[in-house]
Amino acid sequence: MAEDIAIVAFAQTPSYRSYGDSEASLIMGIVNQILGDVEIDRYDIDFTIAGSCDYLLGLPFSFIANVDGYGAWPPIYESHVEMDGAWALFEAFVRLQCGDIDSALVVGSGKSSSGVPREIFPLQTDPYVSAPLGLDPVSVAGLQARALLEAGKATERDFAEVVSRSRRDGLSNPHAQVAKDVSVETLLKEPYYASPLRKHDLPPISDGAAAVLIARGELARKLCDKPIWIRGIDHRIESHHLGLRDLTDSPSSRIAATNLGLDPGSLDVAELCVRYSPEEIVLRQALELGNGTQINPSGGPLCGHPVMATGLTRVIEVARRIRNGEAGRGLAHAASGAALQHNLLCILEGDA
Amino acid sequence: MSEFPVSFTLEYPYTRTPGPVIGPFLTGLRDGRILGIRCGSRVLCPPMEFDPDTGETLSPDFVEVGPSGRVENWTWIAEPTRKHPLQEPFAFALVKLDGADTAITHAVKAAGPEAMSTGMRVTAQFREERVGAVSDVYFVPEGDAREQAIEPGEGEVEITTHLISLTYEGKLHPHNARYAQGLLDGKFIGQRSPVSGKVGIPSRGYDPIARVVLTPADDVEISPTGTVVSYTVITPIQYRGQTETEPYISATIFLDGSDQALPQQDIRDIPLDEFRVGMRVRAIFRPPAERNVDAVDNDWMYPTVGDVVERWAPTGEPDVPMDQIPETM
Repeated sequence: MAEDIAIVAFAQTPSYRSYGDSEASLIMGIVNQILGDVEIDRYDIDFTIAGSCDYLLGLPFSFIANVDGYGAWPPIYESHVEMDGAWALFEAFVRLQCGDIDSALVVGSGKSSSGVPREIFPLQTDPYVSAPLGLDPVSVAGLQARALLEAGKATERDFAEVVSRSRRDGLSNPHAQVAKDVSVETLLKEPYYASPLRKHDLPPISDGAAAVLIARGELARKLCDKPIWIRGIDHRIESHHLGLRDLTDSPSSRIAATNLGLDPGSLDVAELCVRYSPEEIVLRQALELGNGTQINPSGGPLCGHPVMATGLTRVIEVARRIRNGEAGRGLAHAASGAALQHNLLCILEGDA
Repeated sequence: MSEFPVSFTLEYPYTRTPGPVIGPFLTGLRDGRILGIRCGSRVLCPPMEFDPDTGETLSPDFVEVGPSGRVENWTWIAEPTRKHPLQEPFAFALVKLDGADTAITHAVKAAGPEAMSTGMRVTAQFREERVGAVSDVYFVPEGDAREQAIEPGEGEVEITTHLISLTYEGKLHPHNARYAQGLLDGKFIGQRSPVSGKVGIPSRGYDPIARVVLTPADDVEISPTGTVVSYTVITPIQYRGQTETEPYISATIFLDGSDQALPQQDIRDIPLDEFRVGMRVRAIFRPPAERNVDAVDNDWMYPTVGDVVERWAPTGEPDVPMDQIPETM
């Protein structure tokens, strides 16, 4: 039986096209915001874990520089994943299960603006047969899109509808970087970029950070009025060879959902890590999300994609809606790798 | 104040041993052949070391596949990146080669997206110069394929190289830009934390202890005079690329009024036997036209004063005893 663990506080920066100061200063701002929201001393937080990627900034050991953002003097108990902050949340959740500590600060941060993401991301792929081809996530998203079209699981209009709805929803998200009211017809007139995808099917290049404070039951109730309970968190991965995958499906998401006992009908909201519009269609179908579940009311990653914080931001967007009463139960999804290779699901719920 | 652009290239020249399966695969590509590996009743291409379903190690039972095959899926890349195998618009495609049961993701050189379709036949074309890498080959529509006479190379491919070379463009963070401008003006500009009173140089733009973000109002000019708090003597080893020939001192200098020492200050004109911890020194700046701050970047872990200090001159003041040197940040 898993320990009751809740999100007690969260904060995120806006998604910036280019943030002019350091990643550590981005982190410092949101960590200070959390410490202002909750009555806990920085040095009473038992464990700190961050997710970031040195390749984004191109500065080796920038993950160490980031430690300034959450404060490391006097020394703290700290860890890092070269993954989205959602995976840092997973590690923190697992760490708190040990029962000897009560709280953890989780950070995800990234500044993609100074590099060329399409040239960096192939380094995530197989170093022998894919990386030397510069096989990038935009190209693989194009392959996923065509696979959906040819399987009859989606149309180009479906992709445009995801974009139109997401970018419109972004208008009410103060952290959104790209948001506008644009019709499906207008979108479908744009030229192809990685056919059958158009540029608007892609996320923006962003800088940003996100953080959450989690605590075990008793402390969570002491620290806040409305803990947002983590009812389950799991992640699964698929092959690194596209030829071994069915790009029209997300079996790894489905396994994670099964492990969590996910009842899609119980979800008021789902924030999905839709970096490319076809991914929403794959996830909706794989997770059997119905009309009763609002998808990406924040606009999702199509409105802001601070890599390494994008997944943790999905957790925050669900937590925010549970806290303000818009939702009782929700699903946050994070993804890593091209075409949803690696998927994390996190079920969140407020007090009944 | 001017902006200071920062652009750099990050490179990691990887060399990898390809192992018992990828090695023969890459050797095959160098020699103009494409190999798959038997996995039960299937043939996997690209070959893998293990059965993707069970994780069982596969024996090195290779099968030549292709050189032609069927496009299972494709996308037209309108604007290739510098890293893509073709520099004109092309298709990435999943190609199931004749004799293989899985598709390889690779590049197809075609006249345009209208020349591409799922189900079309494509044929491997090998590059003139082959190095034992997956990029030794690309595909073309079957009708466009040329006959190629490939001269096999010698021996097995035992190493494959991949140069990771990434470019970054940005500008100095605002506090670093003011610091760099100060250096050009012959001044050391740091920042004083309004909370702790500590002065950092170069500042990180925040107080890392009190954890507050600093502003231009927190900028302070720091004296060019300071105390040697540590040093080491570098005896240059003549490795490739070494530009130093004579031993020199690399000193850590604590400027008066700051709480953070400047590391790695070169001392070349004070005799070794006269140099000591506690010595008082003053920065003598180069003439304005000779000052250069190209080395100043946003990476505070390797702080630099650029190339603006001509030398650190002894002031002649009495040495500072070690126990009177304050704690540094």
